[in-house]
Amino acid sequence: MPFTPKPHAALLIVGHGSTENPDSSAPYFDHADEIRRQGAFGEVHCCFWKEEPSMREAPYMIDADEVYVVPDFISEGYFTQEVIPRELELDGPTTRRAGKTWHYTLPVGVHPSMTGLLLRRAHDVAPFADPAETTLFIVGHGTGLNQNSTKAIKDQVAQIKASGAGYAEVLDAYMEEQPFIADWDKLATTPNVVVVPFFIADGLHSYQDIPVLLGIEAEPGEAASKREVFRHNPHALRGKTLYYSSAIGTERHLADVILDQVADFDAKQS
Amino acid sequence: MKLAEQLSRAVSGGVRRIGQISIQPSGDGFTLRHIDDENADPALLETRDEAAAAREIATWADDGHYRFTKGELSLKRGWQLRLGSAAELHEALDAFYPAAAGLWFAKQADRLEVQHLRDKLNRQTGMYRFARNISDDGAQRLVREVCGPGHCCVKKILWQIDADTPLDDSEATRFDGVVGDINHAAAIPLLCREACNHFVAETRKAAKAEHEAAGG
Repeated sequence: MPFTPKPHAALLIVGHGSTENPDSSAPYFDHADEIRRQGAFGEVHCCFWKEEPSMREAPYMIDADEVYVVPDFISEGYFTQEVIPRELELDGPTTRRAGKTWHYTLPVGVHPSMTGLLLRRAHDVAPFADPAETTLFIVGHGTGLNQNSTKAIKDQVAQIKASGAGYAEVLDAYMEEQPFIADWDKLATTPNVVVVPFFIADGLHSYQDIPVLLGIEAEPGEAASKREVFRHNPHALRGKTLYYSSAIGTERHLADVILDQVADFDAKQS
Repeated sequence: MKLAEQLSRAVSGGVRRIGQISIQPSGDGFTLRHIDDENADPALLETRDEAAAAREIATWADDGHYRFTKGELSLKRGWQLRLGSAAELHEALDAFYPAAAGLWFAKQADRLEVQHLRDKLNRQTGMYRFARNISDDGAQRLVREVCGPGHCCVKKILWQIDADTPLDDSEATRFDGVVGDINHAAAIPLLCREACNHFVAETRKAAKAEHEAAGG
């Protein structure tokens, strides 16, 4: 559904960011640029946990009295439920403070339209692999901090299975909890395997750590921003043909999911 | 008044600098350069015309390191950025020095909220929770060893250890947020309203070292 522009409101995209390399924040700025280009909001800003501007500095950049805060995170969890509300001093879906109204939406990763993005990415990375002979892995970090962080991935796996995309298997897997992505060749029974990292950015996890777990590389390589090109697919590995995608958040259409989350927020509140 | 209008008015009133950026009014717009390129031959500079280029220019230092904190004294030279409006000026400056203009205007209007170090450390969670164990002496030492132009950060520190404990006098705490030799009325100072993530990370390391030294 086309987004009804909000010329009198500001959009604040919240990301994690990194002190190590700019790849972690690049997608957030790209999404902001895309939304600015569309003219969907009067103002579009980004803020971060690990980079500048911080969440506490962000209000000083904003003119508008109405602000939509969208966590550009893949799941509900520690950051969306604890860190962001604390740092932005939000006390519910809508917070009124010092003349401004702050609307806090759900994170992009839990929106149903993410399913279409994952399927598009899986197809783009392996356009000639027959889905009937292909296992699609959606990979997350897995963490003890908050069990919800895996829920978004399990939900997407269920929706992809129900979508009729025709993959022989659709599986969730994680870096640090079972089922481990390092065991991809044992978990998959098909000759082709497509792996899509369910992360926003090609940061350390998707660009450096997961390739080691998959066996594409023996040790973590350089950051994405330090390389000329993305890795070449496919990889003939462990008796299978492996296709590895960049992080789902680098998909340009994630900007549309941000707007979808804002529209859903408004629909729920009205 | 909108931030872009405030910026435009500040430049009309003579403001020409923020951090390592020189701001020159040109026609209806503005031209930004590195302060050391202020008088350079434009033919020798790479000219860009879109505010979004500011992020690209500000990302890497000349030696190839990532400038994750933008108050770092390492902005690249060799470019000029021509901007057609005050709104573009605001967008570009927020990429070079995130929120800096807004922080300064808030300070002038006496509505800038400063967060002292203990408050900042006490709201850290996860792996950074341990940072709150730093001693006052340890925190004072870190300010001398991490902050200020001697360590490449050119923000004026506004915070204290806590409401009753000011920072010790040092080069870092004396720095006023204005780079180079210029009339201070012609500059927007860079303000540090709370300790940055780099400082928190260093605090955590120092707190661990204190803990281990105490036999913990």
